[in-house]
Amino acid sequence: MAIITEGAETISLDGGRKARGNLTKARIRWVIVALVLVFGTVGGRLIQLGATVTDSTIEGIERDVITASRPPVLDRNGLEMAVDIRVPSLFAEPRRIIDVEEAVQKLRTVLPDLNEDWLRKRLTGDKGFVWVKRELTPAIEEKIFQLGIPGLDFVTESKRFYPSGQEASHILGSVNIDNQGTMGIEKHMDDDSLALLQSIGLARGNEMTPVNLAIDLRVQHVMYETLQDALVRYKAIAAAGVMMDVKTGEIVALASLPDFDPNNPSTLFQDYNGVKNDRFNRITSGIYELGSTFKTVTLAGALDSGKVRITDQFDARFGVRFGRFTIDDFHGKHRVLSVPEVYKYSSNIGTIKIMQQLGKDDFRAFLGRIGMDKPVPFELPEMRKPKVPDKFSEIVAATSSFGHGLSVSPLHMVRAVAAFVNDGNMVPPTLYKRSEADARQLYEQVISPGTSAEIRYLMRLNALEGSGTQMNKLANGYRVGGKTGTAEKVVGRTYSSDKTFAVFASAFPLDNPRYAMVIIVDEPQDENAQSGHTAGWNAGQVTGRVVQRVAPMLGIAPDFSEMLDTSLVPVELR
Amino acid sequence: MIKMLNAVMVCTSLVGLVGVYALKYSVEDIASAKVALERKIDRQEGDLSLLKADWSYLNQPAHVAPIVARHQEALALVPTAQDQFGRMDNLPMRPAAPDTAALDALLSSLDAGIDPIEQLIEAN
Repeated sequence: MAIITEGAETISLDGGRKARGNLTKARIRWVIVALVLVFGTVGGRLIQLGATVTDSTIEGIERDVITASRPPVLDRNGLEMAVDIRVPSLFAEPRRIIDVEEAVQKLRTVLPDLNEDWLRKRLTGDKGFVWVKRELTPAIEEKIFQLGIPGLDFVTESKRFYPSGQEASHILGSVNIDNQGTMGIEKHMDDDSLALLQSIGLARGNEMTPVNLAIDLRVQHVMYETLQDALVRYKAIAAAGVMMDVKTGEIVALASLPDFDPNNPSTLFQDYNGVKNDRFNRITSGIYELGSTFKTVTLAGALDSGKVRITDQFDARFGVRFGRFTIDDFHGKHRVLSVPEVYKYSSNIGTIKIMQQLGKDDFRAFLGRIGMDKPVPFELPEMRKPKVPDKFSEIVAATSSFGHGLSVSPLHMVRAVAAFVNDGNMVPPTLYKRSEADARQLYEQVISPGTSAEIRYLMRLNALEGSGTQMNKLANGYRVGGKTGTAEKVVGRTYSSDKTFAVFASAFPLDNPRYAMVIIVDEPQDENAQSGHTAGWNAGQVTGRVVQRVAPMLGIAPDFSEMLDTSLVPVELR
Repeated sequence: MIKMLNAVMVCTSLVGLVGVYALKYSVEDIASAKVALERKIDRQEGDLSLLKADWSYLNQPAHVAPIVARHQEALALVPTAQDQFGRMDNLPMRPAAPDTAALDALLSSLDAGIDPIEQLIEAN
């Protein structure tokens, strides 16, 4: 402070040149500082831009996921059963909407079913993305474009479409609005591999390799139509059917009524004639007492054990007593019956005697061998465990031998029948295409080829002379054989004789078996005064009608020569 | 010398400038053309998927069957009965032996240089 106040003079020693040089240096420094600042800002901005994560999700779901596509599903001949169609979905960006009220009013001229208050609330606010309505038609998309509302736009979504409508509903299942399978083969494809593909981004918007099912849509159509006819004709509450290729295990047709529309999956939960949850798949997730069709199983087990021979005789004169109960025959002959007669007249007494000669534990073991006590390995997720007691008491074994007291699904029965006629080779059923060579790897010998020949004879015999004559009349020439089953339904705590459950388990053509089929009709009524009320008159006739129409499609020519039938008769009985 | 060099450099930079901008604009044009094409492809794929769905719907047995039912009476359509099927070996044998005399006559006329078919063609 003192120095300044003293007013001491500053002496400049620098020359003019040096002073200029200093000035230049200072300028250069300033320029460097300015440059560093400028480039620093640019660099900083670049880092900032690089670090920002753009929100590509749509209400929490990745944009890619909603446009995820599914492979087309084709039947065995390449006809589409499920395809993806691209449809526009309308979304809004509320922060870009200028006049919400105007947008609401204009939108409602095109989409009048939108709730006004809901729409107003939806479009107000600062959100970047809200759905307005998904899966519209191109025509509506055009109309909304014409309105010219800012902040509204479309994304193209994949929507599943089932051209066959209800006909294959239980096979295909359905998908939800995000294109994920919720039922049927759609769910199976997701669980299997598709979900993985979609999650790693392979299944997005591209065409995917089609999935070929084993179903033949023509056969499926005939089966569906015939079952629908059966519902009306026999005033039944439900009907279902399944047809399987005995050599490959491929399911050629599978239908269950009442059903739903896969294009509108909520129909699954609609009441049917006032009954809730009645539209389930009766073939896989319904378990039933399959009645006398089970005699085929009992006889196959007994004949295969060698303890019972086809030439044996069984005393069916008197009912079998178990404590207070007596089991008697429905079409009682009350005499000594041969094994083919036991089958042909569907004798309960004879079947119990045959089972007893086999032994109840061996019988139970045989049921285990043909997989009656476990769910069938199958693609459809709708499955129910069969009810088969782990150990048989005398009376349960007796009733089981003719199909009461144990419940299995029709799919169990069709697999068993297929094995019995296919030289005893059991093959797991599948909905996917499978070659015979591949199927052979999966073969499991459950009965001997000799027993298989005897079972083929018995089934054909029953069609010619037994309870299958109604069926055979309709499917004459196609060498169908099968067994009826008329199970009395449990009403309250007892079996009711007027509410029955009719089953027909068959195979054709029996000289060279290719297809096995099980038809069920729940609570059928007599068609007219002349007709009977046992399964041959309903489930049997349905089988006959189906075979008559599908056999030519499947390349089976009718043949009326009696030689084919006589050649089925075992040598011991000729 | 230096002036010359400067002039050349100015020219080069001008040419470079014009070139770079031209490239930039052409890239922008191509990019927008690509976006337009992509949109078009997308729209056409969408239309195609609808047409495919339509086609498969029209081909379904479920769609054809009602049409058959509608025209059943007019066209007298019924399902094929078992006795309507035949086999090749059910066909009767050829009824009579070939007409050897006529064949001989034809061959001898051909040998003589007269072709009856040629005559027929010429006559017309």
